[in-house]
Amino acid sequence: MLTTSDPPAPVPPGAVTGAAVIETTALTKRYPGGVTALDSLTVEVAPGITGLIGANGAGKSTLIKILLGLLPPTKGRARVLGLDGQRDAEQIRTLVGYMPEHDCLPPDVSATEFVTHMARMAGLPAVAAKERAAESLRHVGLHEERYRAVGTYSTGMKQRVKLAQALAGDPRLLLLDEPTNGLDPAGRTAMLELIARIGAEFGLSVVVASHLLGEIEQICDHLVAVESGRLLRAGSLTSLTQVSQLLLVEVADGPAGRTADLAGELGRRGLEPRPDGRGLLVPIVDEATCDVIRDAVADLGIALGRMEQRRHRVEELFRPADLEVTDGR
Amino acid sequence: MAADATGVIHDLGYQPYTGPRFGRAAVVRTLTGYSLRSAFGLGRGARAKIVPVGVFVLMCLPAVINAFLVARGGTRAFPYDTYSYLVRVVGMTIFLAAQAPELVSRDLRHRVLPLYFARPLRPADYPLAKLVALITAGLIVLDVPLLLLYVSTIVGVHGPGAVWHETVLLLPGLAYGLLWSVVLATIALALASFSGRRAIAAGAVAGFFFLTWVLSEVLGTVATGPGHAVTSSTAAHVAGLVSPFTLLDGVRLALGGTQPGQVPDPGAGWGSGYALLLVVLVAASVAALVTRYRKVGAA
Repeated sequence: MLTTSDPPAPVPPGAVTGAAVIETTALTKRYPGGVTALDSLTVEVAPGITGLIGANGAGKSTLIKILLGLLPPTKGRARVLGLDGQRDAEQIRTLVGYMPEHDCLPPDVSATEFVTHMARMAGLPAVAAKERAAESLRHVGLHEERYRAVGTYSTGMKQRVKLAQALAGDPRLLLLDEPTNGLDPAGRTAMLELIARIGAEFGLSVVVASHLLGEIEQICDHLVAVESGRLLRAGSLTSLTQVSQLLLVEVADGPAGRTADLAGELGRRGLEPRPDGRGLLVPIVDEATCDVIRDAVADLGIALGRMEQRRHRVEELFRPADLEVTDGR
Repeated sequence: MAADATGVIHDLGYQPYTGPRFGRAAVVRTLTGYSLRSAFGLGRGARAKIVPVGVFVLMCLPAVINAFLVARGGTRAFPYDTYSYLVRVVGMTIFLAAQAPELVSRDLRHRVLPLYFARPLRPADYPLAKLVALITAGLIVLDVPLLLLYVSTIVGVHGPGAVWHETVLLLPGLAYGLLWSVVLATIALALASFSGRRAIAAGAVAGFFFLTWVLSEVLGTVATGPGHAVTSSTAAHVAGLVSPFTLLDGVRLALGGTQPGQVPDPGAGWGSGYALLLVVLVAASVAALVTRYRKVGAA
């Protein structure tokens, strides 16, 4: 589902809006002292795995806390799983699993005991809580270690326990705040695989907040990018990396300066090439653009190394000036 | 349950939970029960049990001594209302200084609270569940020894009349134990909730109870002179205002307690003042707790 930065049509109160798991309308949060953490954020999050991407301090954690009903918004509205963020906060919290960014585990209890307790805090009866705790810990890959005190765990194991406690209450939606924090590369990969599996096999919707785009784009279906509390970009990963109206032209190995010659020649033929790495980016004017380039290359006697229609890279989300997204056609 | 490392793991896949789910009230009750267990170190390592079990044994000692004396034909050695005042002051100070931080500082220190507040609980539910748990724990520490005292006494008396007489004396003693527990646990929990460092929280609780108690004793001694007789004077009544323990003792005397106490009988006038101050102390502590967690919950 496509998300937009424009306010959607007004939804009648109480209406369950089909597919979106999270919907915010002009959500604003100002902290006393004048810091604006969220600034008229309007975004819709579809089921699946969604990356919430932004630099530290962009408002990711504030958004998560408002979604959980832990913070009241200054203005605007949030709906989670079709429920009103303020009115139905308690019900939302039974349906949402939350993994905070920071350490949140007491060191003197075993993982089994802690996760069981947290499942009971989500309203599960004692026996069911025990079963689900064992199951969640198995899903995150903790086996015999789960009977040991959490204080003896490695960072990676602690992150798994944090994820397990979020899973144990059987949520419909998981909010994970920087789940790869403090992990080594192998641990990061394992955690990302685990999240991808939870999204794909468990059928849960997952929102992963992170400041590391390169890492969450591997597992996300959708991305929501925020900057200074404002929506920067949102959309499915394919729409964000869609084909652009640019041709990438690279000259095969040869005498230096041939790329510059080609740029000059293309300029004379009415195109506007600009250098990009070792090649040239040529905006597509019409259907004849490729032919013009072919003729120019042939006339100069250059060997053409590569010519392809370029896809946007997700990093360009953060360089909006360079982004020339089409409508995906 | 043990997964064999060399065996085949049959992954049944993810199964959603379809059973019943309790509401907020039941979750709060569960948290209260869990906290009551941890107040006695249950579900924790052996080290966590040393203080609560040690204090409980200490508090039972007078009852045990009584059992010996009654078995040798003596009469009941300790009253039901004051029991052993010194043992109670020392025991409750140690118990609350150790266990109030166990209930609240631990979750603050390790930042477990966001996990609680991300569940159906409301911010005030958490401190109130902890408070009920600590009051109950204090009640067990205070009143179970009284029951032992009662049982060890009635096995030595003869006739239903004598047993009835003991029962009539016991009941106000149990109620007075509840009053102690409510007052002391509430103050202790409020003090402990302001620090995530267990040592600081324990020091604050122990310091408050012990220092006010010593101060009250000193002022009382100055007011009544070096003799042992507790005489009634305005200065002595004022000295009783300083410590929760002397306030409790004053209220006991004002309500008709028969045993001589640590403070002179305050009578109805000063007695209502003592009671009012206790109510203010408890109310202020509850308000501080709830405010504190409204703030922490939003952090």
